[in-house]
Amino acid sequence: MPDILVQYEAEIWASIGKTFVMVGVSILAAILLGLPVGTLLFLCRKGQKLENRIVFSILNLLVNIIRSFPFLLLVVFLIPFTRLIIGTAIGTAAATVPLSIIAIAHYSRLVEQSLLDVPKGVMEAAISMGASVKEIIFKFLYVEARSGLVLGLTTSIISFISYSTIMGVVGGGGIGDFAIRYGYQQFKTELMIYMIIIMVILVQLIQFTGTTVSRMIDKR
Amino acid sequence: MIKLHNVSKSFSRFQAIKSILLTINKGEIHGIIGASGAGKSTLLRLMNLLEVPDEGEVEVNGQKLTNLSSKELRQARKSIGMIFQHFNLVANKTVYENVAVSLELANFPKKERRSRVLECLQFVGLESFVEKYPAQLSGGQKQRVAIARALANNPEVLLCDEPTSSLDPNTTAEILGVLDNINKSFGVTIVIVSHEMEVIKSICNRVTVMAAGEIYDTALIEPKGIQNLDNSPRYFIEQLTKDGDLDHA
Ligand SMILES: Nc1ncnc2c1ncn2[C@@H]1O[C@H](COP(=O)(O)OP(=O)(O)O)[C@@H](O)[C@H]1O
Ligand SMILES: [Mg+2]
Repeated sequence: MPDILVQYEAEIWASIGKTFVMVGVSILAAILLGLPVGTLLFLCRKGQKLENRIVFSILNLLVNIIRSFPFLLLVVFLIPFTRLIIGTAIGTAAATVPLSIIAIAHYSRLVEQSLLDVPKGVMEAAISMGASVKEIIFKFLYVEARSGLVLGLTTSIISFISYSTIMGVVGGGGIGDFAIRYGYQQFKTELMIYMIIIMVILVQLIQFTGTTVSRMIDKR
Repeated sequence: MIKLHNVSKSFSRFQAIKSILLTINKGEIHGIIGASGAGKSTLLRLMNLLEVPDEGEVEVNGQKLTNLSSKELRQARKSIGMIFQHFNLVANKTVYENVAVSLELANFPKKERRSRVLECLQFVGLESFVEKYPAQLSGGQKQRVAIARALANNPEVLLCDEPTSSLDPNTTAEILGVLDNINKSFGVTIVIVSHEMEVIKSICNRVTVMAAGEIYDTALIEPKGIQNLDNSPRYFIEQLTKDGDLDHA
């Protein structure tokens, strides 16, 4: 192993750990909240089972606003909210708040897109069989859209990694922050390049896994 | 068995169904024929309230569907099977799972599910396809799965929207044979929407001719042909007389 990596080994591992925490919480937020929000966006559309213009418009606007914020400004803008929830606006835990917000908005849009790909006829068959809304979602929609949902999550996770790299501004740490502080600000270019390599490998692994899984579960 | 009482349906300002009165008797195979856009599918979809009428009453199986709560309606739909032109199977479920899901929705006893699914698949001749996915089946086989799915809960009524319109003539005859068999074996009332006279003539007892959202006529189809068709659109009269079996009253 190159000397410089040995020298900074502990810090590097700590940074990787923080990136995993930030991205991990984002993934949880995406699944636990982004998936339902995206499903609601889909179901509230015109002609769908829960057609509701008001709910759709509000969710749609909210998702658009969050996604159109330059992420750095969103982080700053959310500081009071973060302080309210976590008690502080600084540190890795605090960094997970804006990351989760963008994660929900990001993934919900991709969920909506995947669900739009489910043939309308499948929904009609479900309704004609007497399925409830819950049954339509879990026994039909998610089953039929599952490969798109997995691919969307893969795309989202890769974006979350990218978003997480700027969390140094609120002391969130992580690989990106480490690369900037040591590699860029202290002119250790070699170290920065190694960090970039780690990120590239990580992204490749995630993309490969996502693509493979989505292909395996796609029987269409 | 099915009664539509002055039922109307509009899409934005376009009136697709114009105050229709129609009774379909228990145990019959009833055809609905008409040109594309006549409102056949809309009429059929009113029979399980996939389309909610703007006015009028829909009665199926002695129940006024138009008066039911959404929960009661879901319950009622479990005894109204439906099949479609494009089959509408869940592509990510196996043949077995596609049929089983309709039993799950109806809370069919868990222990008896497997044997019921296999029984239905056997009826349509697909018992050896349980682990296949729809993408691995031909059109005719997909429609058989859809029929098995619709049949699983012992429906009183089976609604068919152009069930053979994307199939070749041989497969069409096979599927019509299956539907006829369902009617004869289980006494299921069947409604078939089609734009093909051949389909209607080969298995229906009665036919309703539609044009522009209205019923032109309803006629009996006796073994020797179609009877008492008074004022149907010329196109269909021509179709019928061409084959020399229209005994016009
Ligand atoms: N969901 C809908 N929205 C708007 N117009 C519709 C809708 N469904 C049907 N129509 C219109 O109603 C008319 C009848 O349609 P349909 O019942 O599908 O006819 P058919 O099955 O006889 O071809 C057509 O003109 C069609 O364009
Ligand atoms: Mg039609």
